[in-house]
Amino acid sequence: MSAVLTPPASAATPPSGPLHHRIAWHLRHNPKRELWLAWWTVVVFYNLFFPVFFIVAQVQPPPQPTWDLATQVHWFHERQLGIPIGFGIIFAIGGMTAINNALIAYSMRRMSVSRAFAYSYLIIYSLSAIPGLYLLCIALIVGTLRPERDPEAVGWLYDFAFLSFDGTMGVFLIGSLIWMLAILLDKNRVFPKWFGYLNLCNALTEVVVAPCWIFRRGVLAWNGQIAWWLDMVVFGVYQITFIVMLFQMIRREDFGTGPLPDLPRKPKVDRSDVEAAA
Amino acid sequence: MSEVGEARKRVRFVPGQPDMWAFVFFETLVFTGYFGFYLFYRARSPELFLQAQAQLDLRIGVFNTLVLLLSSWSVARCVQSSRAGAYRPALKDAFLTAFFGAVFMVSKVLEWATQIHLGNGFASNDFFTYYYFLTGIHFVHLLIGFVVLGVVIYQLRSPARRSQELIETCATYWHTVDFLWVLIFALLYVVR
Repeated sequence: MSAVLTPPASAATPPSGPLHHRIAWHLRHNPKRELWLAWWTVVVFYNLFFPVFFIVAQVQPPPQPTWDLATQVHWFHERQLGIPIGFGIIFAIGGMTAINNALIAYSMRRMSVSRAFAYSYLIIYSLSAIPGLYLLCIALIVGTLRPERDPEAVGWLYDFAFLSFDGTMGVFLIGSLIWMLAILLDKNRVFPKWFGYLNLCNALTEVVVAPCWIFRRGVLAWNGQIAWWLDMVVFGVYQITFIVMLFQMIRREDFGTGPLPDLPRKPKVDRSDVEAAA
Repeated sequence: MSEVGEARKRVRFVPGQPDMWAFVFFETLVFTGYFGFYLFYRARSPELFLQAQAQLDLRIGVFNTLVLLLSSWSVARCVQSSRAGAYRPALKDAFLTAFFGAVFMVSKVLEWATQIHLGNGFASNDFFTYYYFLTGIHFVHLLIGFVVLGVVIYQLRSPARRSQELIETCATYWHTVDFLWVLIFALLYVVR
């Protein structure tokens, strides 16, 4: 942490005038343009990520772990178009996760805590993209595009894909805890403390996924009500919250190193003034 | 500050950071989900659940509950002493809370070992899946509770720190661990 507080950069004022002039000004002069680009990348990524998995490839919600080999082969056959198209998109946009992680790491660099937090988070989440995203895609795409292979091998890919995706959530757990710790220790008020505790809630639900290695049926199987459905609800709440939190952080960013200033409150409109104006 | 302002502040007062109460609320919602699924599965096979439940020793459950209630009592005393500026007794109570927590932990591990010895493993049947799952996830909360008590002790030890707000935030977390256990105890051991 820097011992010297640097003064915030003076905010440039956008010109008034036609919309395209204002957009051009923001693209050329807005000091936060890189941050906004990163934030919009996050939004675009998740707006593609979820529809690809749920609608295009139709691999989520996960299928039954107890299916026999013939049903598993049939499941791959039904998705012979959706999986290649969907995961083709994922392979193309997967790199956007790096920008997502970088923005979160940036939030930790803006805090009063050691840089070690941001770097640890970056490394952990870069590595966790492999078991938590790419292995699933690779295994399922191989199973789909090599239908002539032995059903035993296809069944193995089926198990491998969903166990790598759901069974390795523990890797994300440490990332959530690092962000939580940084938020709770931070003195620059980058995020509210309750968001730190929400990270803990998210981490605790990721512990719950681990038993899917043991169970093939019931609430703790990889498609179970607790291990998948409840966790997905918590993850959804967490996901939306952290995108909003990052949005607020960028709005408040002053490029200094001290406490992040609050946004100026909108002045209350006096009803009598409005009536008088009308 | 005006009297009205003071009164409003008193009305809004919650122990510790209000943010911790958001955690309590969210965790309660998540556990409500777990309990809901438990009751749903229990209603589907009541015989199996009753038979399996009979293999749990109610006395151990009662002992666990009393120990955790005592730990909640000692952490409340810790907060009270700390508020009064009596930091040495507060520190003693924090250690006493950790002791009760450790007693609970050892007793839980022994209970798990006994059940496994009886042939009731994690995947034996639906009841024991829930039993290990609920007591296990509560155990993880308890382990975090030890870290939280560590923060309390760290705060109390030095006059330079002693943030009353942080001490009360940590105590709120500990009470949550106790509160969740009481519900788990009622569902797994008592409701037949």
